[in-house]
Amino acid sequence: MSLKRDLPTSTISGFALSASLILTILNILLHNIPNNIQTAGDELLKLNATEGVANAVTTVVVYFRGFDTLGEIAVLFIASLGLGLMLDENKQCDLKAKSNFMLQTASKLLFPIIMLFGIYVMVYGHLSPGGGFQGGVIIASGILLLLISFNEFEVPHSVVSLLEIFAGASYVIIGLIGLLVLDRFLGNFLPNDISNMGMLLSGGIIPIIYIIVGIKVGSEMSVISENLIKRCEDV
Amino acid sequence: MIGFLILCTFIGIIIIAFASVTQKKLSNAIILFMGVGLGSVILFFIFKAPDVALTEAVIGSGISSLIFLIALKHLKGKR
Repeated sequence: MSLKRDLPTSTISGFALSASLILTILNILLHNIPNNIQTAGDELLKLNATEGVANAVTTVVVYFRGFDTLGEIAVLFIASLGLGLMLDENKQCDLKAKSNFMLQTASKLLFPIIMLFGIYVMVYGHLSPGGGFQGGVIIASGILLLLISFNEFEVPHSVVSLLEIFAGASYVIIGLIGLLVLDRFLGNFLPNDISNMGMLLSGGIIPIIYIIVGIKVGSEMSVISENLIKRCEDV
Repeated sequence: MIGFLILCTFIGIIIIAFASVTQKKLSNAIILFMGVGLGSVILFFIFKAPDVALTEAVIGSGISSLIFLIALKHLKGKR
């Protein structure tokens, strides 16, 4: 079979157009490199030390750009809301194939380890790579493993809704307390001494907020995956 | 040495992505898409962004590919 029959001409011309654009941009960039590039990263890294958190990315995501993170969580919540609206609860359709015996045994063995790793990534987000988003999605992937291996498994909705209400409310409440104490939304009002940098209890509100983000992301992602597996909609 | 590794990873990602696009079976395309995610994890890790690498490993090549496979299974039941 020839390549020309599989790919329509519009796709090939699109490839060619994007390649020529990329070459043009690279050419312009290579000819106009300034001698010393000014970046905002160095300034932020200097500021990072004042909060007493070892991982600079966490400081930027949760503290300097904490309001954006609140917006991202809201976007995720709206996405799960839309899925729940679209997929009807009355139309249950489970996967036709029964899961393998090997998959069931392996998921029983792997589920606690995945949960433990997710909680570790979540709690140590201010010391090592990772954090709330990644830890929450790791926990949700463990629940997804249970969902695809056991047909009768269901996510406990009362627990998940309670966790989500708690997490979403406490994020805003912590931000408002910071507004009251330090005149700044999400101000770091807990002790964040630089001598404690690298300890588990350091950085004031930053690890607390990342754990909250992890709880919210984990519960939302597990509900999204349960909706996608268990319910269906006639197209 | 490290430049050679980066170059090999780049070329590999491009080849895997092209193979994933031109694949006839959808399940093969999804598995190759996982390979694209894996290659970008290596690139992110070499370029000193372990946070992004972890996110890409979990979301890009883990949970989203699994959701694609589940959607494919639902579609096959419909036909």
